[in-house]
Amino acid sequence: MDDTTLEADIVVVGGGSAGSTAAIRAQQSLPRGRVILLEKAHIKRSGAIAIGMDGLNNAIIPGHATAEQYVKEITMANDGIVNQRAVWEYAINSYSMIEELDRWGVKFQKTAAGDFDVKKVHHKGSYVLPMPEGYDLKKILMRVLKRAGVQIINRVMATRLLKDGDRIAGVLGFDTRTGQYTVIKAKAVILCCGASGRLGLPASGYLYGTYENPANAGDGYSLAYQAGAELTGIECFQINPLIKDYNGPACAYVTGPLGGHTVNARGNRFIESDYWSGHMMMEFYRELHSENGPVYLKLDHLAPETLTEIERVLHKTERPSRGRFHQGRGKGYASDLVEMHISEIGLCSGHSGSGVWVNERGETTVPGLYAAGDMACVPHNYLLGALTYGKLCAQHALDYIGGFDTQELHSEQQDQIAKERERVFAPLSRPDGIPHHQFEYKVRRLVNDYLQPPKSANRLRAGLEYFDRATHELEEVGASGPHDLMRVMESHFIRDCAEMAARASLYRTESRWGLYHYRQDFPKMDDENWFVHVNLKRDEHGQMQLFKREIDPYVVPLDESELRGYHHLRIPAAEADAAQ
Amino acid sequence: MSELKDRESIKTLQARQVGNAHTERRFDVPVVVDLEKCITKCRICIDSCPVDCLAVNPETGKAHMKFDECWYCLACEIDCPKDAITVKIPFLLR
Repeated sequence: MDDTTLEADIVVVGGGSAGSTAAIRAQQSLPRGRVILLEKAHIKRSGAIAIGMDGLNNAIIPGHATAEQYVKEITMANDGIVNQRAVWEYAINSYSMIEELDRWGVKFQKTAAGDFDVKKVHHKGSYVLPMPEGYDLKKILMRVLKRAGVQIINRVMATRLLKDGDRIAGVLGFDTRTGQYTVIKAKAVILCCGASGRLGLPASGYLYGTYENPANAGDGYSLAYQAGAELTGIECFQINPLIKDYNGPACAYVTGPLGGHTVNARGNRFIESDYWSGHMMMEFYRELHSENGPVYLKLDHLAPETLTEIERVLHKTERPSRGRFHQGRGKGYASDLVEMHISEIGLCSGHSGSGVWVNERGETTVPGLYAAGDMACVPHNYLLGALTYGKLCAQHALDYIGGFDTQELHSEQQDQIAKERERVFAPLSRPDGIPHHQFEYKVRRLVNDYLQPPKSANRLRAGLEYFDRATHELEEVGASGPHDLMRVMESHFIRDCAEMAARASLYRTESRWGLYHYRQDFPKMDDENWFVHVNLKRDEHGQMQLFKREIDPYVVPLDESELRGYHHLRIPAAEADAAQ
Repeated sequence: MSELKDRESIKTLQARQVGNAHTERRFDVPVVVDLEKCITKCRICIDSCPVDCLAVNPETGKAHMKFDECWYCLACEIDCPKDAITVKIPFLLR
């Protein structure tokens, strides 16, 4: 079979929220240019929000919040380890993104007076804008993409980036239905591949019961790493409070403003704020494992109309199968507490702070390579951050490509293309090899055993020893067709992410971000030595290199007590309980 | 006993060198398709699936869940124009 060879000005990899706005913006600015949107699934239901979201978690609406306040809040929530300029850029550009979404037909909750109906969920400020008809979001984005004239390629998976010297020269991958090898030459690439959500194994043992859409297997983390880009904060894991055995959030953002809250088995509240942060998760974890566990979401005190409203939103957006889950267990919001648990670990900047290093222009450290959304490190960026940064990346990528014409593929690139073809299709030569799901189960079970907090050097090293062996085990994994091949390539991404997570966790010899990086052997936060970013990259010998990166001076200064603003989330009475 | 020990060392070596054997296993899967309602040659649900676990069953010409990789997100069920799909919570979580 001949390769598919294409040429583009800009290739966007991943057609979720960030990828959609990136491709729309790029094509709108280049009416005669070639913008390709590459999607492993189909853009109508891809990305983290396959079925839409119930709201924007971090809207900075004039009159309700300011950019200064927001930057402070995120700096606090991330224990000071932020590139504030990148967060600031989001803060000042996100409102115009909301207005644009509003024009595109996205329905936000508004007051009788027609203003955006903002709710308070965060510890300090008010940033939550409900989107009760959020199930339309992906459809709306698809319509705008088509209207803009973007060339959309569904069911093609990127496996490696093409380089020309130091800079990006394109994308390599294959069609997961036909097996056709695909080479796309490009002047710039914007990675929007979502979280590394298939890293830890859910406690149920069900491989696809992950919090994140399991299609988000860390593709972007691995693609960027293998291309030589820096990643940052990988030790700051994503761990979320979820319904026990079900991968939906409980969900503080929806139920919180309507009076729902988290309680322990004694029916007492123990945290002041249900906003997801490492410190909140630490209190959640402590309570769960104390004699006061399990932990529950309490809704049974709410009025029937309020419960109907909660169900109307929660059972239609984000994770709409939750209604049938509860019913299957014979539980209802009016009569029962909803048992909660903590999710498997993952990497995600949308929720915590682990991702590919980007600056305020969405640039990675590789010229011509941009990243946005859950995989790009702008902490706690969520859906609106993905949409906003997709657009910002496109704007800056357009400036970058203005400078040169597409280069011919030299023998150096031909070598990369041939080598990757060989690597990708190798599993097809051993259809009787180890099945991908067995490999994946094993590597993810060992991620749980060795990387899940609480962390310690001994366990992390034991994990690393296995992840190294897993490199060789991957050479035994076989595939009988293109679909299996997709899963095998995802297994490579998962292994890469596991190694990054272990090495970054080992490198930062302190505890920070509550549960996200809780080291039993270094239980204290150590600002003197570790008030820095921990970055990693692949060096010229193919080795993973870890190093400190200074934190740039803040745009919005915080005093010492503000910096620790998220350290006291436990309710004082519960503090006394816990001490007993 | 010494004979057994030798045998074990030989088998240890062999265990590292022999090829792979495999078996078939039946899985209960979440996506249930009503063959009466499902339209032959319609591929809407197959396109909707974010993990591509649905396919046309060559025996029936109708959609079925081919790979045990469902995220129970309901995209297929919601997008089906004939209400032919019901997604159950995977048994391990039910």
